[in-house]
Amino acid sequence: MTQTIVIARYNPELDEKPHQETYQVQSDDNTSVLDALQQVQQQDPSFSFRWSCRMAICGSCGVMVNGVPKLGCQTFLRDYPVGLVITPLSNFAVEKDLIVNMEPFLEHLSAIKPWLINTAEGTQPHVQTPKQLAKYQQFANCINCGLCYSACPQFGLNPEFRGPAALALAHRYNLDSRDQGKAQRMPELNAKNGVWTCTFVGFCSEVCPKKVDPAAAINQGKVESAKDMIVSAFKPTGAR
Amino acid sequence: MNNGTKQPKRSDEPIWWALFSAGGVCFAVLIPGVLLSLAVLYPLGLISAEMLSYERIHFMVFEAFFGLAGLAFVGAAICLPLFHAVHRIHHGLHDLQWAHGPVAKVICYGAAILMSAIALGLWIF
Ligand code: SF4
Ligand code: FES
Repeated sequence: MTQTIVIARYNPELDEKPHQETYQVQSDDNTSVLDALQQVQQQDPSFSFRWSCRMAICGSCGVMVNGVPKLGCQTFLRDYPVGLVITPLSNFAVEKDLIVNMEPFLEHLSAIKPWLINTAEGTQPHVQTPKQLAKYQQFANCINCGLCYSACPQFGLNPEFRGPAALALAHRYNLDSRDQGKAQRMPELNAKNGVWTCTFVGFCSEVCPKKVDPAAAINQGKVESAKDMIVSAFKPTGAR
Repeated sequence: MNNGTKQPKRSDEPIWWALFSAGGVCFAVLIPGVLLSLAVLYPLGLISAEMLSYERIHFMVFEAFFGLAGLAFVGAAICLPLFHAVHRIHHGLHDLQWAHGPVAKVICYGAAILMSAIALGLWIF
């Protein structure tokens, strides 16, 4: 059957500001938003959007569907019988059509040092028990899609906020038994733009396609940061 | 933007957040019981006036547990819930973009500190 979709269009070289256009696409029970966008691109080759894997792994196809952040490849037209309005991810600058500038998000990610920090010498593997793995595994499933940043009203108000995915990733490495970098990451968590900008709205966890639950990670991070403050109060100033 | 080259300043938010959390527990656990007994059951006559007699309340507030029961009650039913409430107001003002920055903060938490001091003062004197 034919379905009508409305898409936000913006060409920075021609348009003063974004506007919406209506398209007709063919859809059945298996048609995803990404499929529909590809049909639109065949009608109008100048239409731009990001995608790669088509299977909710690469995290590049995030868009707003009727105002809610979604992965295009994991969202189906059959669930929107009254129609869809597709706009670029909120809280990011639009570059063209549905493409946003993800640079601020990537900067926040790298600021929390999202890698194993371990100074141990040698070639031995770092073994880990299933119990040690279970501590952080949920928080390790992030695909860096950025949907949680579009869902977060605090990131919308304050783009300097490190944000859900970055803080969840910091928590993931802090919980990893092979990691020794917690002391290096805590200053970022302890800061105003770290965990303390979060007011536990929780929409990030609702929209996360990988059930990472960044809101839980951030609020566990608040407990860690509060503990860190108490510990630091008993240390000489130079050691803080 | 800071990429870990220089360390950002530690936020003082853990203090307010801890008071907010403690106040939230009091709000959830203690306040409903207090309201039920003082504002519902008592006016309905389901608690005898005897239970809230001056002598009994005076004993509970100033003498029970070496007088600490009154202190605990003032802290848990007034002071901590106050900090809980102003924390919500403070963040609400920021979320609505009506006020943020140090002035709003001083007014909000200052109000909680002042009202707590009055409540504790009434208990002490
Ligand atoms: S936490 Fe979830 S919503 Fe946020 S970037 Fe990772 S996968 Fe996407
Ligand atoms: S195309 Fe890779 S996540 Fe949707």
